[in-house]
Amino acid sequence: MAVNFITQKYSRQGLGTLFLTCAFPLHLWTLILVFRDISWLTDRTNLWDAIGVASYGMIFAFIESVLVFLVLVLLGFVIPRWDSDRRIAFLALLILITATWGMIAQLLFIWNVSLPAWAIQYLRTSNHPLRMLYAGALAVVTPTVVLPVYLFIRSKKAVALMHNITERIALLTMFYLCFDLVGLIIIIIRNL
Amino acid sequence: MSRRLNRREFLKLASCIPLGWSIASLSKTPALQASLPGNRKNIIILVFDAFSAYSLPIYGYGRSTTPNIDRLSKKAIVYHNHFTNGSFTSPGTASLMTGVLPWTHRAFRPNSEVAPAFGSKTIFNVFKNHHRIAYTHNGWAYTLLRQFSQDIDELMPRETLLLNSSDKVIAELFRNDDDIASVSWERAMNTEEDGNAYSLFLSQVVESFKAARTRDIKKLFPRGLPGEGTEKFLLETATDAIWERLSDLSQPFVGYFHLLPPHAPYSTSLEFFNAFKGDHYQAIRKPVDIFGKPDIDTILSTKRTEYDEFILYCDKEFGRFYDRLESSGLLDNTWLILTSDHGELHERGIGGHMTDALYQPLVRVPLIIFEPGRNTGMDIHEYTSAVDILPTMAYLNGEQVPAWTEGSILPPFAPAANISGRNIYLLRAVFNDQYAPIKMASIMLVKENYKLLYHFGLPTMPEDELVRLFDIRSDPEEMNDLSLSAPKIAQDLLAELKNKLKEVNEPYH
Repeated sequence: MAVNFITQKYSRQGLGTLFLTCAFPLHLWTLILVFRDISWLTDRTNLWDAIGVASYGMIFAFIESVLVFLVLVLLGFVIPRWDSDRRIAFLALLILITATWGMIAQLLFIWNVSLPAWAIQYLRTSNHPLRMLYAGALAVVTPTVVLPVYLFIRSKKAVALMHNITERIALLTMFYLCFDLVGLIIIIIRNL
Repeated sequence: MSRRLNRREFLKLASCIPLGWSIASLSKTPALQASLPGNRKNIIILVFDAFSAYSLPIYGYGRSTTPNIDRLSKKAIVYHNHFTNGSFTSPGTASLMTGVLPWTHRAFRPNSEVAPAFGSKTIFNVFKNHHRIAYTHNGWAYTLLRQFSQDIDELMPRETLLLNSSDKVIAELFRNDDDIASVSWERAMNTEEDGNAYSLFLSQVVESFKAARTRDIKKLFPRGLPGEGTEKFLLETATDAIWERLSDLSQPFVGYFHLLPPHAPYSTSLEFFNAFKGDHYQAIRKPVDIFGKPDIDTILSTKRTEYDEFILYCDKEFGRFYDRLESSGLLDNTWLILTSDHGELHERGIGGHMTDALYQPLVRVPLIIFEPGRNTGMDIHEYTSAVDILPTMAYLNGEQVPAWTEGSILPPFAPAANISGRNIYLLRAVFNDQYAPIKMASIMLVKENYKLLYHFGLPTMPEDELVRLFDIRSDPEEMNDLSLSAPKIAQDLLAELKNKLKEVNEPYH
């Protein structure tokens, strides 16, 4: 019954594409950080343990992908009257924007980017620095969400573009899922 | 100090976390067995990680960091020149537990195990007739304990006394590989440390969940909860849990307990927060070392103060632990040994202990032995080291002193003449292959009044080798390098060290 309910809103292929689109940024980010970590991990432990850390990381990324996918599928039920492809493309757009901001937030730490001195001074002198900071962040983030969503709703070209992007991403993610499989085998060996 | 909390208030907040058996029976002080047959006594080895002798008033420090240890050491044997044999957890702990030097047990790489031959040559193996129990917060010490677990009757799982339940689940789920699984989980979920994690979304959920669970306790630790990364704990919980377990154990027992504080991050409790702020303590200014960074004096001064305040927290818990052992009568049958695996530096442009600069604050650690029935203090000034603890405890308990140990029985239990003039060694060789000849290392040799430092083959050093010599009796702060002004002494000690190296490298060619 639950399956029927889901298939009313989504095509089987669409669900697959959506899952792979969810998995893409999560795996990509994990891989980037794993490669960044591998040298100090090897220095502090050894190559086999470093590979172990990477393997667990990939599996955690897979689990996170499943969870995010499930949340998105549920979210899809509140989108009215769109066909499955359009719904999938829209959800894929949302996850890609959100993931991009998630990466940017972490990159700011990695690259040690901080606010310019004048902005810090301004916040310091304001009565509600935290509120100002959140308002500033909202002002930056909101257009990056609203604009693509608006274009998506208004333009058929944007929908087609999103569709193309998700198809390409899905193909690439299949490759990442192979890493997950290798990671799983390594974890099993390590836990024997 | 901002505000003093009494114990009741503290525990009221701590009880928010389901830590089980530790808190329920605080007032329990059972009458414990008063005597044991023969020489056999219980042994408790309590290791505070990264606990430098340099920061204790009983060894001459200018801040009152350890009022409880000061009080209790008046009825203990205090070793004033005790050295570790490794400058970080793996080699220092392995030497303490095996009674052999790092180039023999080979656990000189970070988080390494000892050579397989030493897996069963440990203090736990020596005391076969005792109930053997161990616990540590420290992941690298736990690697060693796991390797020795065949001779440990009760190895308390590390996560038992950690606060974060998700880490416990990971450790349980991947029981045969919990260390690496936990490292990966931490890198995946912990954004608090570095601001980045493998996980983009789940990490935020996990962090929020953890923050909610520990919100009340966090108020008691203004610099953050004690512990590394996501592995947080309370020292109160650890000492309570250890006490609870010991009070129920059949005797005799050997307990090895390796607690992480005062290891960085220096997260003292609210009670001691800012205890030394503005106290005008001035550390002796020392030149920036070849392994140090310039212009970080202010940072190091702040870190030293935070470290000292963290020691206050350790001292309080040690005092509480000791008082409970004493009031229960357990101390009448128990050797209690307080020591550390290595020290900590806050000078010469260096903070912490992952350095090749083997100065006294890093290599000299406390050793205080509380002997059953002793009510007067005793000071021992001979040079001693971590490898001496195993043979001493074996000897005192009527066990065979194992032939493999490279340590000696400590004075006053053996004549001081037995150990005077002998060599004390420390090896740091993090870049060297574990089972290859030692060709990239920093080695310390202490003999008579002199301390020789020999650095060679290090990728972090411009020269191929560097020799330094200090007279640590007349110059305990190591301000004057004598390698040029007393070349004969330096050459003789270096020749002796190189001969020793040749000997220990022989099996690995």
